Amino acid sequence: MSSLSVIDLYKNYSRKNRPVVEAVRGISFDIKPGECFGLLGPNGAGKSTTMKCVTGFYHPSKGSIKVLGLDIAANLRDARMKLGVCHQDDTLDTDFAMLDQLLQFASFFRIDKKEALLRSEKLLKRFDLLERKKDLVESLSGGLRRRLQVARSLINNPELLVLDEPTTGLDPESRRSLWEILCEERKKGMAILLSTHYMDEAQRLCDRVAIIYKGKIVACDNPQKLISDVTNDKMIKEEIRPGITIERPSNLEDVYLLLTGVSLAADLSEGA
Amino acid sequence: MGRLMISLGSIYLVWKRYAYVYRKNMAFAVITTFVEPFLYLASFGFGLGSVIGIIDVGGIQVSYRAFVLAGIVGQTILFQSFFEAAYGSFVRMYYQKIFQAIAVTPVTIEEVLWGEIIWDASRSSTSAVAVMLIGVAIGDFSILGVLCAIPICFLFGMIFASLGLLVSAKSQSIDSISYPQYLFIIPMFLFSGVFFPLTNLPNLIHKIIFILPLTSVLSVLRTLVLGFTFEWWAPIIISGWGILLIPLARKAMIKRLVA
Ligand SMILES: Nc1ncnc2c1ncn2[C@@H]1O[C@H](COP(=O)(O)OP(=O)(O)OP(=O)(O)O)[C@@H](O)[C@H]1O
Ligand SMILES: [Mg+2]
Repeated sequence: MSSLSVIDLYKNYSRKNRPVVEAVRGISFDIKPGECFGLLGPNGAGKSTTMKCVTGFYHPSKGSIKVLGLDIAANLRDARMKLGVCHQDDTLDTDFAMLDQLLQFASFFRIDKKEALLRSEKLLKRFDLLERKKDLVESLSGGLRRRLQVARSLINNPELLVLDEPTTGLDPESRRSLWEILCEERKKGMAILLSTHYMDEAQRLCDRVAIIYKGKIVACDNPQKLISDVTNDKMIKEEIRPGITIERPSNLEDVYLLLTGVSLAADLSEGA
Repeated sequence: MGRLMISLGSIYLVWKRYAYVYRKNMAFAVITTFVEPFLYLASFGFGLGSVIGIIDVGGIQVSYRAFVLAGIVGQTILFQSFFEAAYGSFVRMYYQKIFQAIAVTPVTIEEVLWGEIIWDASRSSTSAVAVMLIGVAIGDFSILGVLCAIPICFLFGMIFASLGLLVSAKSQSIDSISYPQYLFIIPMFLFSGVFFPLTNLPNLIHKIIFILPLTSVLSVLRTLVLGFTFEWWAPIIISGWGILLIPLARKAMIKRLVA
C-alpha cells in the first residue's frame, strides 16, 4: 500500500471578481512507505496547494487523494491521525510556551497526558530545544520557531509527513540535524512529502523528485537519473567570479533551471 | 468535510485551548472580562440611577438602576462575544494562523469554529453572570429569573459571537472590522434599549430597532430578571438571528480559509 497516492489532482481558486487561478492542473504521484518525495518548482508553481489538498484542508477541484490507503475526503479524521504537517507559514500558537505547544497538539491526536509529555520532551531534546521548553514562542528566533514547528508535526509519530519548506531560515547545523532526524524516522517507515527551494537538500534527501511548473509535473524521477536524462551528465563550465571559471558536473539545480527556465516556458504552454 | 460528523470531544479540545490561554493571562482576562461591565454599572446604574430614581416602563414601575443593570447584562454579552470573535478570531485566523494549524490534525475546521463560537459565548456569559449576581445581591433581580437567564445568555453569546466571526471572515484587514463596529454594533448598543425604554421613540426608528438582535435580547432578559411583560416577538426575532448567523458565520470563515 502506498503511503500517499495522488491521482489527477486539480485545484482552482475562484474568488469573486477575480479570474480563476488554476493552481494545480492534473498532478499524479505516489509515495511508498519510507520514501522521501520532493516537490520542486518556482514560486507559485502549486507545491503548497498540492500539499494543502493532501492534508485535506483544501478540497480538490478534481482528482483523488489517498493517505495510507484512506480517501482523505471520506476518512478525514482517520487519515489525519497518521499525518504530520508542517506548513510553509509560521502557524505556531504564540500564546503557548514550547512544551505546552506540543502538549496541546498532542491532545488533538487524543494522546494521553503522560505519553504526550514523554513524546514532547523527547522531541524538544532531539530538536535541541529542551533547555528553553518554558519559553514563549514569541521570544524565539525565526530558526527556533521553524524547528519547533517541525517538531510539532512529529508529535503523533506520523506515517506520512508533509513538510512545506521546512528548512527555510535554519542555520546549517540545524538543517543538518533535521536531515538526520528525518533519516531516522524514515528507517521506521515514515514517508515524507517535502517541498524545498534548496536543490542540494532535495538531491540529498529525496528518493524521487517531481518538478512542478505552472501546476503540472514536468519531470519526475530519482534525482540522479533526472540529472543524467536531462543534462546527459554534461560537465558545466561557468564563470563564478570575474576571471574565475570552473568546470563541474551538472546537478539537480541545472535540471531545475532547464525545466522551469523562461526559454522552456514557451514550449510548455504550447504543449499544454 | 461537511458530511463528517462533528465531534463534541474535538470541540471541547479546541475550547480547552482558549480556556488555557485565558487562565494563563488571568490578570488580563479578569480586567477585560469584568472591569468594563462594572464601569458601566457604576456610572449608569449607581450614578445616573441615583438621579433618575423610579421609571415607568409600559405600566411597570422599576428603579432606573435595575432597568439599566439588566441592559448592561445584554451589553456585556454583545460586546464580549462580538469583540472576542471579531478581533480575536481575526488574529487567530490571519496572524497566528492557528485555525489552519489545528485544522490539519484530526480536529476539523468545523470543530475549530464551533470551539471558537462556544468559547466566546462561555466568556461573555461568565461576565453576564457576574453582573447578574450583583443584581441579585443588591436586590434588583429575581434569583429564579437569573438562574433561567444563564443558559439563555450563553445562547445569546453564541449569536453575537457568530456575528463577530462573520465580520472577521469578511474583513480584508483588522482595521476594516471598525466599519461594522461603528456602523452597527455601537449604534445598536446605544439605541436598542440598554439605557432607556424604547416606548417613546418615533415610530419608524422604533420599527428598525425592533428587528435588531440586541432589542430582543434585552426584552427576554428583562422579562426574566425584572418580571417585565413577556413580548412574544422577542424570542422569535432572536432565534431568527441565531438560525441565520451561526451557520452563515461558519460558512463564511470556512470559505475564507479553505479556498
Ligand atoms: N488562497 C488562495 N487564493 C487564491 N490563489 C491562491 C491561494 N493560494 C495560492 N494561490 C495561487 O495559487 C498558485 C500556487 O500557489 P502555491 O502557494 O501552491 O505555490 P508554491 O508552489 O507553494 O509557491 P512558493 O514556492 O512561493 O511557496 C499561485 O499562483 C498563488 O498565487
Ligand atoms: Mg509554497
